Amino acid sequence: MKSDLIIGMAGSGGDGIVSAGESLITAAALEGYHAILTKSFGSQIRGGESSCRLRISAGEVFNPGGTLDVAVALNWEDFLKFGAELPVDGHTVVIYDSKTGITADKIPLTGVTPADVQAVPIGDLAKQTAGTDKAKNTVVLGLLAGWFGLARDGIIAGMRKKFAKKSPEVLEGNERAFAAGIAYAEAHPLHTARVMPPAAHNGKRLLTDGNEMCAAAAIVAGCEFFGGYPITPSTEIMQFLNRELWKYGGTVLQAEDEIAGVGAAVGASFAGKKALTATSGPGMSLKTEMLGLASIAELPLVCINVQRGGPSTGIPTKSEQSDLFQAIFSSHGDTIRPVLAPISVADAFHITVEAFNIAERYQTPVIVLSDQEIGQRKETVDPIDVHSIQPAERRRPAGKELEHYERFRLTESGISPISAPGMLGGNYLASGIEHNEHGAPTASGEVHAQMNDKRLRKLTPLKSRRDLFIIEGDADAPVGLISWGSVAGVAREALQLARAEGLQVKLLIPKLLYPVSEEIYQDFFASVLAGLVVEQSHQGQLYRVIRMHVDVPAGVKPLARSGSNPIVATAVAARLRNLAFELQRRRAPELQPRE
Amino acid sequence: MNTAAAHVADHHNVKDYQSDLKPIWCPGCGDFGVVSAIYRALAAIDRPPHEIAFVSGIGCSSRIPGYTTAYGFNSVHGRALPIAQGIKLANPELLVLVAGGDGDGFSIGGGHVPHAVRRNVDLTYIVMDNQIYGLTKGQLSPTSPRGLHTVSSSYGSLEDPVNPLLYVLSYGAGFVAQGTPADMNGLVAIIEAGIRFPGFAFINVQSPCVTFGEPEAQLKVHKATMKSLDSGGHDSTDRLHAMALAQEYGTQLYTGVFYRDPNPRPTYNDLVHERQAELGPMARPKDKILEMFVPE
Repeated sequence: MKSDLIIGMAGSGGDGIVSAGESLITAAALEGYHAILTKSFGSQIRGGESSCRLRISAGEVFNPGGTLDVAVALNWEDFLKFGAELPVDGHTVVIYDSKTGITADKIPLTGVTPADVQAVPIGDLAKQTAGTDKAKNTVVLGLLAGWFGLARDGIIAGMRKKFAKKSPEVLEGNERAFAAGIAYAEAHPLHTARVMPPAAHNGKRLLTDGNEMCAAAAIVAGCEFFGGYPITPSTEIMQFLNRELWKYGGTVLQAEDEIAGVGAAVGASFAGKKALTATSGPGMSLKTEMLGLASIAELPLVCINVQRGGPSTGIPTKSEQSDLFQAIFSSHGDTIRPVLAPISVADAFHITVEAFNIAERYQTPVIVLSDQEIGQRKETVDPIDVHSIQPAERRRPAGKELEHYERFRLTESGISPISAPGMLGGNYLASGIEHNEHGAPTASGEVHAQMNDKRLRKLTPLKSRRDLFIIEGDADAPVGLISWGSVAGVAREALQLARAEGLQVKLLIPKLLYPVSEEIYQDFFASVLAGLVVEQSHQGQLYRVIRMHVDVPAGVKPLARSGSNPIVATAVAARLRNLAFELQRRRAPELQPRE
Repeated sequence: MNTAAAHVADHHNVKDYQSDLKPIWCPGCGDFGVVSAIYRALAAIDRPPHEIAFVSGIGCSSRIPGYTTAYGFNSVHGRALPIAQGIKLANPELLVLVAGGDGDGFSIGGGHVPHAVRRNVDLTYIVMDNQIYGLTKGQLSPTSPRGLHTVSSSYGSLEDPVNPLLYVLSYGAGFVAQGTPADMNGLVAIIEAGIRFPGFAFINVQSPCVTFGEPEAQLKVHKATMKSLDSGGHDSTDRLHAMALAQEYGTQLYTGVFYRDPNPRPTYNDLVHERQAELGPMARPKDKILEMFVPE
């Protein structure tokens, strides 16, 4: 029995297919399952085609999965528009509306014979029971509950809540539509029954997306100022803070542009508040000058980039990991900014808190590289112990330090106490121009070199943060896998698949992408003869960044794909298998008896 | 806090606002007059320097915060206003001054001005307008007159200048004034009035560039041609008349207050404060904030 189920559904905008996915994941979360929901839309602002993928599992899930176990097409035209996002193979159960007039042997899926094809009068059932086409999605929920044993009570409870504000007739109609779906499924059993195992109940699980998680984490970390500008796919961060941050004495400024948004955040940080901005690639391009300013003025700042396809406008609604070079290199001058990346919705919380702590502790801008997938996918999250989190505070000058205050004093650590306007004796000039220890402008080469050294030196301790790396698998494995961001969830599953085959493989996931921790990579590579750096960018940006700093074994290659081209665990596992076999072949001559 | 060296004086005089840094400006630069006028205005207002944040962009005039003892922020080109707004919203108790040149404010940073005006954060924005780029040695500025020959307009400028006064008046600024170091008392008075105005205040200072500026834009000429709005009988609560007078920017140097809103709008920073106070009681304890993600 499989412990998980991957459902893909598509329809036109009004069909409520995404809403059905939301109902299902809520019900699944309530029943104690782990689940991930991703949504995909056509480029139209309203209407057009929409789809969602839902992966439900009794165990932990790391990614939205590959080939569908269940495909639901309310009409084929819309379903086919999603191509590789909704892949069907020989084990998939295909459910579609028989009203499409297409017979089960003529469904338009080229080159595939699905395990089971169910032509269901979805629209007719909806009309008969609820009196409206609009209940089609409820019929689908009934079908899924009936055939796969999914979260029946949770769905009904969710429906009651959802329709509470509408008339009782609407609720009753939907309840009948749901029952009709179940009854239909029971009357038409699948060729091979597939019923989800019950979830191991594990207390209350949270359900949210990466963007809201980042925003909530910012509040926990002590953020009191947000400045930003709407941009897909990061806007939900601003929207969440706009609802919540005021309650904590904070301010949200929707600025006139991306530059003003981050500029106001830099100002707020100068004034002593923890400050955040969030954006996506095109906005990052605009914010770059302010990030350089925050670096030289040594002001704490967190900047979240929810990456999408680029360059320029690129593909705003699809995930990509192609802003790594930009995050690391886009400021002029000799500077380093810490770059962090979460690997899941839960991790978005921890990484955002960490970003604030690093920003405050080291007085530096920190970039969080989230991505569209993590930002906008809904995911169940095990409870997080927020109470135990200790937000870091910037080092304030006190006592004698304020008698002859030197804002940029050259200390051993490179960190100098930072005052804020209003603090008596702490007056200084912050500037984008090079400055001496007092903050006075200077063009001295000697001072410039000292200050560059100070600003870089202070970040060196980050390289020893082993807690910002995940290492899994066989410690001495000859095959190594490296991945980051949302794709790391794919790599984790690939590792499990490969190890289940008996292959010796290990995985390194850096959540701190920059500065590069040479030692951690070198330790990892010590046993590695071959491997893959798996990432969603055309050039393999992480692979290239690591090579700038570390001697990477020649057998380690990038597995890099442009955004909107899903990377799935089975494909990564297959590559690992090939690498392992090749190593065996290569070693074979050494094992032959010598003549 | 041990504050043996740092203490608040009972009363602040001009010297308390002067820093030890020697200005990089050319001898005779109008900006010397502006910084002196700022010292005098601040002394009249008598706020301790550590409660003042002074923000600028890039340009000759943007060096000005460093010549005061306030908390200064000499930021990047054109971005002083967004940074200043962030400062004021983060700590509304501060007196926040913003300064820069005509290029900083009306060319590279021009897009921020209307939004600072309509948002009405309580800032005082002083533009030192010299119709030329001085720091980069004499190129065309957004306020340079049409036809001006400079090193970047060798055959004469082909475009009309921005009218800073009309620009901010039309976006609804509550306080708009113009001055020149040729009339120091008048300049001090409008800077002080601008700071005291509750809301966004704009002060255009005709501050000559002695090195690259036109002969007719020097202090001597200002002295001879300037006209006081006050003694000319202008009613500074009459916005339409102020706009009519502002049309003469570039031909007639008016000094004084063009417009002062007799019923100032609430400031953005006050509204923010009200909202925080109103919503504060609705906050979940921070360690329970994630509970909003528990599905029902």
